[in-house]
Amino acid sequence: MSVSPYRSEKQFDLPHAGVGRPVHRLGVIATVATFGGLLFGYDTGVVNGALEPLSQDFGLTPLSEGLVVASLMIGAAFGAVFGGRVADAYGRRHTILLLAGVFIIGTLGCVLAPGAEFLIGARFVLGIAVGGASATVPVYLGEIAPSEKRGSFVTRNELMIVAGQLAAFIINAVIFNVWGHVDSIWRWMLLVALAPAIALLVGMIFQPESPRWLISKGRTEEALEVLKQVRSPERAEAEVAEVTHLASEDAKQATGGLSDLGTRWVLRLVIIGAGLGFFQQLTGINSVMYYGTQLLTNAGLDSGVAIIGNIANGVFSLLGISLGMFLLNKLPRRVMFLTGYALIAFFHVLIALTAVVIPPGPAQAWTVLVFLVLFVFSMQGTVGPLTWLMLSEIFPMKIRSFAMGICVFVLWIMNAIVAQFFPPLIEAMGMTATFSMFAGCAVIAFIFLFLLLPETKDKDLAQFERDFKAKYGRK
Amino acid sequence: MSVAVAVTDSPEGRTALESAVAEARALDTGLLLINLTLHDFTDDEIPRDLEVTLINRSGRGDRDPVTAVLDELRDHVAEVDRLVLGVRSRSRVGKVLLGSVAQRLILRSPVPVLTVQVPEAAKKR
Repeated sequence: MSVSPYRSEKQFDLPHAGVGRPVHRLGVIATVATFGGLLFGYDTGVVNGALEPLSQDFGLTPLSEGLVVASLMIGAAFGAVFGGRVADAYGRRHTILLLAGVFIIGTLGCVLAPGAEFLIGARFVLGIAVGGASATVPVYLGEIAPSEKRGSFVTRNELMIVAGQLAAFIINAVIFNVWGHVDSIWRWMLLVALAPAIALLVGMIFQPESPRWLISKGRTEEALEVLKQVRSPERAEAEVAEVTHLASEDAKQATGGLSDLGTRWVLRLVIIGAGLGFFQQLTGINSVMYYGTQLLTNAGLDSGVAIIGNIANGVFSLLGISLGMFLLNKLPRRVMFLTGYALIAFFHVLIALTAVVIPPGPAQAWTVLVFLVLFVFSMQGTVGPLTWLMLSEIFPMKIRSFAMGICVFVLWIMNAIVAQFFPPLIEAMGMTATFSMFAGCAVIAFIFLFLLLPETKDKDLAQFERDFKAKYGRK
Repeated sequence: MSVAVAVTDSPEGRTALESAVAEARALDTGLLLINLTLHDFTDDEIPRDLEVTLINRSGRGDRDPVTAVLDELRDHVAEVDRLVLGVRSRSRVGKVLLGSVAQRLILRSPVPVLTVQVPEAAKKR
């Protein structure tokens, strides 16, 4: 879910990254590390389908259903903020190994939970791993990939996140329809996540540390050893200089802090960035990703059918994000954002109207599903990936780390709030009022971005910074 | 000896720099330029006729600008004979919301501090 924050303005002329063994090794590294993204997706998506049997087992109310789901996001907010710190102090590899351990413990905790309170606690722990993986895996991939492939490696992780959610939807549908009569079937749905967690743990034992982190700690010899495994010998030697330069740039990114928010134009950018995270979650995308099955059941489908219908949400999410990745390089950011929020508001209104116009029953449910997947597709094709890209490029380099930390924290907390209050809102106000509210939020987001969002596409980031400062700084 | 100046990203910062340059010229000393902004100074922002030592904030250790300045002053305490600082009046709300970098520096600086305000004429520009 995050786009690589690394952009090197200094260009290095490097020999070809190599063929054969080093490339193969890189492929293995990417495969293993993106299990982190897969787990991120699976663990967030698995409640969509597991929630209904779980809710019956523990006798949950809509409010406590919300808490079971949201506790993971609150854990993730902290995991995302502190994961980066841990990765800076102890290394990317050790952090991912540690996270894999937390994934395993958290999963077992959820599966064996004797009651709702325990489950909520275990989901919080699992959330720390999810948030930590969201902060660490893209950095590890971005740092170990050769510069010309950095973007595609990080993209691969983002696709794995959405693929993880889709996998959770499919596996839930299969398990529920085949073994639906088994008691506590939701435990088995959650248990599936153990396999990729173990694969991540075992796989990472054999993967090397990030060369950039090693150099930042002054361990240049070891960094060269790693580079020799993943690059051609000539390229490895040549790349040490580039990596050293990038490591010093990284250190600079952690310079700015709270007191720099006293500078008016910097504060303005941070408010815009926090707004991006805030509104991205208020689109309600994750209410579909967590509660899609429930929505369809409420609208009039049988559980077994709803859980299959929900797979469409995952498929369109994956299709949307693939389109979004392509559009990022084509369209101006403002155009893409504003179009995205307009489409989101439009489909939310249609969903709200469907619940009024068509009487409850399969017809309503299928119509809702059509508009839901169109919403998911337009969201993931625009606002979804664009928010992360924008966050990685609007901030002045020296405050990037701190500013992104604030925005990502806001994003996860909003994710938690939506997850927490969606079931009680649906229960209390119904689908029409809830989706009208989401539509209203999308309209407010449209106005907010129309008024405040600067354009960054095809701009040199240093030049963007100077222009923005000249316009909004205190004269 | 030299004059130290802490330059923030604001009109006060620019005034402080101008005053510090004038001081250094008058006293015929060097200038210890501590850059508290988030950008690196370009050559035309640095006076050429003075012996300038430029210090940029970099890394997590310099996250708090006050700590960054105090560390530099302690390292150069033998040679620095004053710190030039730009100040401005702040609203009550502003004082509650954000701590003052200038106030903390004035109270904790190991060397005498010369404070300057932005001239009225410059504010209207």
